[in-house]
Amino acid sequence: MTVASLRRFTYRYPNAGQPALDRVDLDVPDGITLVAGASGSGKSSLLRVFNGLVPHFHGGTVSGFAEVCGRDVVTTPTRVLATEVGFVFQDPELQAVYPSVERDVAFGLENIGAAPALMHRRVGEALEVAGIAHLRGRAVATLSGGERQRLAIAGVLAMRPRLVVLDEPLSQLDDQGAAALVATLIDLAKQGTAIVVAEHRFEKLARVPGRRIAIGGGRTVSTDAPAVVPAALVRPPVVTARPQPTGTVAWRVDHLATGPAHTPVLEGVTLEGRRGEVVALVGPNGGGKTTLLRTLAGLLTPISGTVQRAPGRVAFLPQNPMALLHRASVAAEIAWTVRRDDRSARDAAGLINELGLTHIAHRDPRDLSSGERQRAAIAAVLAGSPQIALLDEPTRGMDDGSRDALCRVVLRMRAAGCSIVLATHDMNLARSVADRVVSAGAGVVSELVAAGVA
Amino acid sequence: MNPRALGAWALAGVTIALATGNPVYRVLVLLCALNILIALRRPGISVRGLIVALIVAAAIAIATTTLASHTGVHAFLVLPAGIPVIGGRLTLEAAFFGLSTGIGIAAAVLAAAPLSLVLEPHALVDALPAALARTGAAIGTALNLIPGIARSATEIRDAQRMRGWRSRRVREWPDLAVPVVLTALEGSITLAEAMEARGYGSGTRTHYTADVWHRADIVVAASAVAAAAFFVALRISGVISDWYPFPDVTAPPVSIAGVVSCLALAAPLLVWRR
Repeated sequence: MTVASLRRFTYRYPNAGQPALDRVDLDVPDGITLVAGASGSGKSSLLRVFNGLVPHFHGGTVSGFAEVCGRDVVTTPTRVLATEVGFVFQDPELQAVYPSVERDVAFGLENIGAAPALMHRRVGEALEVAGIAHLRGRAVATLSGGERQRLAIAGVLAMRPRLVVLDEPLSQLDDQGAAALVATLIDLAKQGTAIVVAEHRFEKLARVPGRRIAIGGGRTVSTDAPAVVPAALVRPPVVTARPQPTGTVAWRVDHLATGPAHTPVLEGVTLEGRRGEVVALVGPNGGGKTTLLRTLAGLLTPISGTVQRAPGRVAFLPQNPMALLHRASVAAEIAWTVRRDDRSARDAAGLINELGLTHIAHRDPRDLSSGERQRAAIAAVLAGSPQIALLDEPTRGMDDGSRDALCRVVLRMRAAGCSIVLATHDMNLARSVADRVVSAGAGVVSELVAAGVA
Repeated sequence: MNPRALGAWALAGVTIALATGNPVYRVLVLLCALNILIALRRPGISVRGLIVALIVAAAIAIATTTLASHTGVHAFLVLPAGIPVIGGRLTLEAAFFGLSTGIGIAAAVLAAAPLSLVLEPHALVDALPAALARTGAAIGTALNLIPGIARSATEIRDAQRMRGWRSRRVREWPDLAVPVVLTALEGSITLAEAMEARGYGSGTRTHYTADVWHRADIVVAASAVAAAAFFVALRISGVISDWYPFPDVTAPPVSIAGVVSCLALAAPLLVWRR
């Protein structure tokens, strides 16, 4: 059965020249539908049509026709569609309305005026299906990213929607979390809920049955078999062999105990990185990857032990790219980093080109898609010639093409003698560029493999 | 601790503090409120800042009345008449009047303070009358955003520091402030979108948690309402008289019934525990 259909649906954001969606023809059937598309392809806009956030919340102009669960999207407000369509947003940090788990799951039901007894029953069921029944009494602030995402899903399921839409739900999950989420989605689909999932990282969805739709330039370019998805499944590493790093030690930690608010997250860590070496830091959410990076950067004072860094600039990419993007354009952002260094300013153009930012270099970072923002942030921190580069989840929100570009930049910097540390969930990235893979979790750090690209 | 019971208590305290200019009753309200704040405040909440602010407010009230009023018989200092506004006799009466005003302000503020320092923010939001439910959810959401903003502010400061930002250069402060404000704004827009997508604003809202009234809550609410009603009745009937230090300062009159009704405001100390 068809849950949603679009006919020659065209949408322009307010004051935008190009349409975000351009004459889209699409039918969403029962079961799971996967939507793939590069950054800025119109993927997020398409998802927002299903619950009417496009056009009702965002404004802009529409033409064509869109129908979801028998209702005309253009004439039905989002709050009415909300009873049929559940939407899980990309950033789990910004979806909880109430400070307690139970209360937050009930928010949607409160909005439609459900009776308290019904609410209690539905909240219990939704927590169960989302796999977080054990978190019922917890405060939202104490949940991990993955748990928050499940909370968002529970909040949506409590409404018993006909269609559930998830915007890049895997981008912040570790492998285990991603596998659990995929299992939940398959279960839901079996029980008759239609599901639409948008993702860059198709490798994690490779085992998900369902239709695959690719979108690019605001158009759905194909709507058939898995084979059509461009560059989707497992990709070969960018580089297969290169000399072992032999540079001098660039950073070193000794018997380190560290963590925020004087509470150790990691203890007894002894580790070093050389010039011209890439170290990948892997491990579960909350395992201490970010803590270790911040300690290496000097942003966090160790509780005990020592941190040494070779002289020179340290580039640091935080998890949220918007933490550093604040200038009027991508180019100005890069210029700000290298403002005290004329030679670096000249090199910056090369970096912009390498990361595929040339066509958006004049644009305001806030108008970019999440993947484009991420690349802009990477360019902004890596500009110039840092001696040490610390990158926290650099491939977050990135499509495969951008990830390849990042790999090339990392390898070029490695060749130039920069010592690079990447904290990542993305094992493909680790395999592609890392000389060593180090795992952080359960309070300790351990070396996984000596040479990642053997 | 039922939020509406605490709301009733706070309303009663403010009513008594403002119903009379008599500093004796105001001091009693102030002491009850201060004790409740200290005994029942949320863990990790400090009342020191509030107390300092109230002392400053009272000092300002005393200073302005003393310097500007020039009425009363007991002059303790005479400033040259040529000075505008403050020139002339400064009197004890004016100083006492200022003190009474300062105590009144402090008592009223302290009586209302438990609403923010004792209750969890969302409990207060839940306690709003049904007509304000929409506002309540919006306020609750805004409160929920604050920890996120604090976290992103730290993240932004870290990121900018690593790019050479220095807090000592005032010229560079916008490089920190702009992304903090924009990130907060963007966060609230995303949240608004998420709320909309969950049917917010559909019409009649219901509440997940029913309003539970324990016996202690009823005791607090009933004693507070009775105390305020009794006090106002005494005031109207003239049993409690107002106090006015001009032209010649006298000790404020005290009625036992009035004192008893003020002390009823201490009920939460006996029946509520944190």
